[in-house]
Amino acid sequence: MNDLSQASINAFQLLISGNSDIWEIISLSFGVSFSAILIATPPALVIAFFLAFFQFRLRRACIALFNTFMSVPAVIIGLTLYLMLSRSGPLGDLKLLFTQQAMIIGQILLCFPLLVAMAHASFQAADRRAWETAITLGAKPWRAFFTLIYEVRFGLIAAIVAGFGRVIAEIGCSMMVGGNILHATRNIPTAIALETSKGEFAQGIALGMVLLVLSLSLNAGVSIFQGKGELRS
Amino acid sequence: MNTLIQFNNIRISLSRKPILNIEKLIIPSHQCTLMTGRNGSGKTTLFKIMSGLLKPDHTTVEYQGLTMDWKQAKPYIQKDIIYLHQQPYLFDASVAENIAYGLHRNGENKSVAHNKVMQALDWANLSHLAHRSAKQLSGGEKQRVALTRARILSPRLLLLDEPTASMDIEAKKQTSELLQRLKTEGVSIMISSHETHTVDHIADHHLHLEEGVLTSLELKSNTDNVTVLNPSRHTK
Ligand SMILES: Nc1ncnc2c1ncn2[C@@H]1O[C@H](COP(=O)(O)OP(=O)(O)O)[C@@H](O)[C@H]1O
Ligand SMILES: [Mg+2]
Repeated sequence: MNDLSQASINAFQLLISGNSDIWEIISLSFGVSFSAILIATPPALVIAFFLAFFQFRLRRACIALFNTFMSVPAVIIGLTLYLMLSRSGPLGDLKLLFTQQAMIIGQILLCFPLLVAMAHASFQAADRRAWETAITLGAKPWRAFFTLIYEVRFGLIAAIVAGFGRVIAEIGCSMMVGGNILHATRNIPTAIALETSKGEFAQGIALGMVLLVLSLSLNAGVSIFQGKGELRS
Repeated sequence: MNTLIQFNNIRISLSRKPILNIEKLIIPSHQCTLMTGRNGSGKTTLFKIMSGLLKPDHTTVEYQGLTMDWKQAKPYIQKDIIYLHQQPYLFDASVAENIAYGLHRNGENKSVAHNKVMQALDWANLSHLAHRSAKQLSGGEKQRVALTRARILSPRLLLLDEPTASMDIEAKKQTSELLQRLKTEGVSIMISSHETHTVDHIADHHLHLEEGVLTSLELKSNTDNVTVLNPSRHTK
């Protein structure tokens, strides 16, 4: 117990003193996850919009597919991506294994179904009149699309925040395709796992606190934005 | 009577159920056409086809000397015909921003657009609401904002879907007054209503939709058993 409280105090000191390793890991984590969300969001919104607003064959199947893919475990995505990117895999020539790019790709795959499913729910709940009003007032479809995004922005922000919450905390995929290399691909979750397994609790706890605070605030954020969306409509 | 636009052989089925089968629909210019029909008779469907929002199975459109199918006509009718929902939808923005929405398409420069919006607000007596959030307005105010937002684009034809269905007397009066003024400005208007006995006094023609078929009726001028939408005419 004494060890643990000592470790916690050390953890605080590490964070406050601006320990460069710790902050590098934190910023790498953010960098990778922000990139993944940034790349995944625009196509996810377009797909979600089409699924909500247009009738076409296999529409229901598509929706079911995205809902199902939401629950694929991160480590399975990691495994699949690993096999694709490994030297003998079909994408081996890209030499992406154990790079940040590989982690970004993994996280994109991880958050994409969630983004589509949640954004689809938002668009589904949106008022059809919003689209018709924009069009009848002369907006081109692209502008009407952005108008609609604005109208349901709180639901979409909730989706993005939830997606970010999922990728910033996942470990399976980052571990498999990133490899947890210090200064290169070590992010918060993989660092926690490594430090703890080495018995160095201070850094693990410090990063754990960061992640915990972050996850709690992200989840709170999702609820707040979803609530705001409901109030408006 | 000049014809603004004519639709021939409008046919549409929704979920395999035939909804409309209209041989001929003539919209006269500078006039107000009233279209009655009970709930579910297809009024909204017809309006959406006419304004380019809903593709029918078939129709031809005669407009500005051209005869086109619906797809070819779409850019023209989307530009000149504006559809107003039964319950208008206002964007989650201020009243002034709502009114300015359509001006983007003309690529108007900012100060010209601003002046237009100010004039439009003034026209509809909405200046005091300019910066209010549109979502917080009453039903009647929303209707007036929607009318103003349409008028600023100088449409040829306005399609009003049961505009006064859920309004109190005062709001009805204000809406009727704005419609009257629009008509004087040369905008053609078509109004739908599910009350067959309603006669809006700005109406010049009366069409009736039943079982997907449109018939032209004599405009009832006796006001004994009708709801009066625009009482101003009595005093003249
Ligand atoms: N998307 C749709 N799919 C199937 N049927 C529809 C659809 N929209 C409207 N209908 C049907 O078309 C008919 C006409 O509807 P509508 O045009 O809204 O009538 P009105 O505006 O006169 O009340 C109704 O019977 C309605 O149930
Ligand atoms: Mg209707």
